[in-house]
Order: sequence, then structure tokens, then C-alpha cells
Amino acid sequence: MSDAMKIGGIDKRWVYLLVAIGALIPIIKPLGLPVLSTPAVEALFEKIESLEPGDVIMLSFDYGPSSAPELDPMAESILRHCFQRDISVVVVALFPLGGDNQAKIALNKIVPEFPVVEGEDYVYLGYKDGGLAVLRRMAEDISIVFPQDNRGIPLEDIPLMQRVQNYSDTELSVSLATGIMGEWWAILVNAQFGQPVAVGATAVSAPKYYAYLKAGQMLSLLGGLKGAAEYETLIGEHYPELKERSQIATRGMDVQSIVHLIIIGFIILGNIVYLISRSERTRAGGRLASK
Amino acid sequence: MRRQIAVLLCFLTGFFVVVAFFIEQDPIPDINEKLDELLVIVFAFALVLGVVSFLQHHSKKIRRRDKGWTSSVISISSLVIMALLGIFESSIRGTGVIGDRTTFDWVFNWVFTPLQATMFSLLAFMIASAAFRAFRIKNIEAAVLMVAAIIVMLGRVSIGQVIFPQSLAISEWIMNNPNLAAQRGILIGAALGAASMAIRVILGIERPYM
Repeated sequence: MSDAMKIGGIDKRWVYLLVAIGALIPIIKPLGLPVLSTPAVEALFEKIESLEPGDVIMLSFDYGPSSAPELDPMAESILRHCFQRDISVVVVALFPLGGDNQAKIALNKIVPEFPVVEGEDYVYLGYKDGGLAVLRRMAEDISIVFPQDNRGIPLEDIPLMQRVQNYSDTELSVSLATGIMGEWWAILVNAQFGQPVAVGATAVSAPKYYAYLKAGQMLSLLGGLKGAAEYETLIGEHYPELKERSQIATRGMDVQSIVHLIIIGFIILGNIVYLISRSERTRAGGRLASK
Repeated sequence: MRRQIAVLLCFLTGFFVVVAFFIEQDPIPDINEKLDELLVIVFAFALVLGVVSFLQHHSKKIRRRDKGWTSSVISISSLVIMALLGIFESSIRGTGVIGDRTTFDWVFNWVFTPLQATMFSLLAFMIASAAFRAFRIKNIEAAVLMVAAIIVMLGRVSIGQVIFPQSLAISEWIMNNPNLAAQRGILIGAALGAASMAIRVILGIERPYM
């Protein structure tokens, strides 16, 4: 067996070990690599910057724990940005497998950082099953879908919700979505009801959203951990007092950087081995044929 | 006769919802809103169906002592425990978001979440191994795909901009042009397929609900 074939047949546990080491090193010793923002992410930041204190946005938690490492940092950054600028947030959860918990986790983490009052500066309406039907119904009247908030208080008794009846009373809807849910916001809430929509998606589903972004059915797209890191960078640049708190995705990018390099290395190595093996087989075949 | 009633109901409902999209004359929007409310309720019943189907599948495996029946016992136990916790615990309600956490939340956050995180974390290892073994330049298309993949992978991480500063711009171009064209083709194709399927269901040619 040639050296190339030996390398090609390497035990995959060595591959796993290298990836594990590559992931661990930046966690132990952060690299502090720079994160450059892209127009798709800047659009959401600028939209929130353009809002007046007291304006309302809707934030929908349409993901579960499997997408949390990518989407939690987005949720936290957006909540921080809004609370920092006195922008009120109506929070809902539409993902059955954990949207409710992710919303609670994010609010539990961010709310204590700011002097905000539940019911006045933010409200959590809880989880509702029904997907598209819920989105359609909220265009008419949110209180029909969510008659009360997560505490059990009727919406008419909540000061913030007295100002918000449907999408038209909010300036923006942000869906942090896994699977198809972000598309629903684009094709229904934006395309049919004219509400500005931004979507935070996992890296694996981000490519499909470019079609909606370019068609103008989405205002902004935050794609994966990179999108979250870009938003953190923008917050850090504009609000230095928030910089230290908004670093989770930025630190995660160090890990992703190294692991991507390792994967690229494996792709190149695998192909070198493949080409050498193929030429060796061709030569061996030629020798056999000449004999 | 029962079949015909079901087909007629499907036709009338589907036709009405399509027509209602274009008509704002009373009482069409009101009826349409009521149908939306009905849809939310039907969705809730779909959950019940899911639970019943899940219980039937796993209880059959347990009864027959099929391979992996012990996993079915764990599955059903988990379902029952989480359902009971979710139904009977309501300490969040009444205390706001910032309040006591329930056992349901604890199990979700400290059992379910780590399990899902573990499962998805394995992807990084699998992808590295698959990249080494399967991503081969066997033809020109594969070569183009590989070059595009490497540039996008570099463009999507911070270190890419250090090693190859143009990677971000080229990666954005790839996402905004070739990727966009392909995604649009897929989306338009899927939308046309969904529309034709909807017409077939409304007209009773396809009857997946029966």
C-alpha cells in the first residue's frame, strides 16, 4: 500500500481528535479575531437605530435548543439593542420544540441588565401553536391569538399591549427561526401585510433566505453565528458599555474559524490523496496492460 | 355519500379561502377570520393525533418485545412525565418571565437541551470526516463546487478575512448571485408544485385527507 493510500485510510478518530483540539484551543485561549459586518446585518441594526424611544418591535422565538448556539446570541443582542434605546419589545414564541423556553432564557438573561418593566417596556405573550394561521390572525388582532400574556394577565390590562393591536402598531418584526418559519414571516407578514421583517437564521438555512432578502420581502438577514457576531460587533462599536456583555458569538467565531480551517485542510488533503491514488492506479493498470 | 361530503367540504373551504384573498366585501373577511381561528384549533388537534400515533407505535413495540423496545419504554415514560409536569406545574404563570422556574423547565434546560446540543455538535466531527473521505474532485463541476465551498467557508469566518481578505466579498457575491439564482429556481419550482397540488386537492383529484 502506498503512502497516499495509507493517509486515505486513516482512522476517522484521528480526524475527530484534530477537530476537538481545534475547537478547544480558542475556547481556552481566545484569538480575538476581527469580525466585519455585512450590509444584510447592518440593515437590521440601522433599522433599530432609526426607531424612536417608545416604538415597538415584535420578536418571535421560532427555534429550539438545537439552534440555540447560533440564535441565542442574536436574541440577546437584539434585546440589548432595543432596551438600550428604550424600544419596547413584544415577544412571542411559535416554535413547538422549545421556542417558549428559549424566549424565557433570553429574557431572564437580558431583562436584569436594564431598568425595564414587564408589561410596559416588554411583554412575553407565550407560545402558540398554529404557525401560519397564528401569523395571519395577528395581522388582524394579536389579542385573539394571545388573549393574555405569559403571566395570565389579559392583554387589555397590559399598558404596552394597549398600544399594540396588530402588526401595523409595530415598526418591525424579527423572527429568529429554524426550518421554514422565517419564510412564513417573509411570504405572509411582509408580502401580504407589508410589515418590515428581519430574519435571524441558522447558517445551514441562511442561503435560502437570500431570495427573500433580494426580493425585498425581508429587510435584513442574520445568518448563523457569523450574523450574530456581526450584530455584536455593531453594538460594541456604537455602545461601548455593552461591548463586554455582547461577546458570545464573537468568541464562538474563533472556534468556528479554526474548525473551518481544519475542514478545508481535510478537503484539500483528501483530494491530494485521491489524485495521487488515482494516478498510481492508472500507472499500475498501464503496467498490467503492457504485461 | 360520506366521501362526497368530505370532497365537497374541501372544495368549498379551499375555494372560499382563495376567493377571500381577493375580496374585501363583508362578510367575506369575517368568515375568513373565523376559518383562521378554526385552523389554529385544528392545529392543536394535530398535536393530539401525533401523541396518539406515538403511543400506538411504541406500545406495539413494547407488547411484541421488538428490537429496541426498552427505548420505547423510555420514550413513553418521557412523554408522560413531561406532559404531566407541563400540565400540573404552573409556577411561571402569575410570576412573570423573571420568576421561579418549574421542574419542567429544569428537565428541558438540563436534559433535553444538552442532548440536542450534543447531537448537533457531532455534526462538526462528521462533516470533517466526510469532507476528508467524500468531497472528491471527480469532474469539473465538483472542482467548481469545491472552490466555491472553500471560499464561502473562509468568507463566513473571521480568520478567512485575515488569510484571504477578499474572501468576504467573493463569498457575498457567491451567496447573492449563483446561490440566489439556484434558490429562486428551487423556490419558484416548489411554489408552482404547491399551487398545482393545492388545485388538485381543492378539485378533489388528490384526496390525502381521506
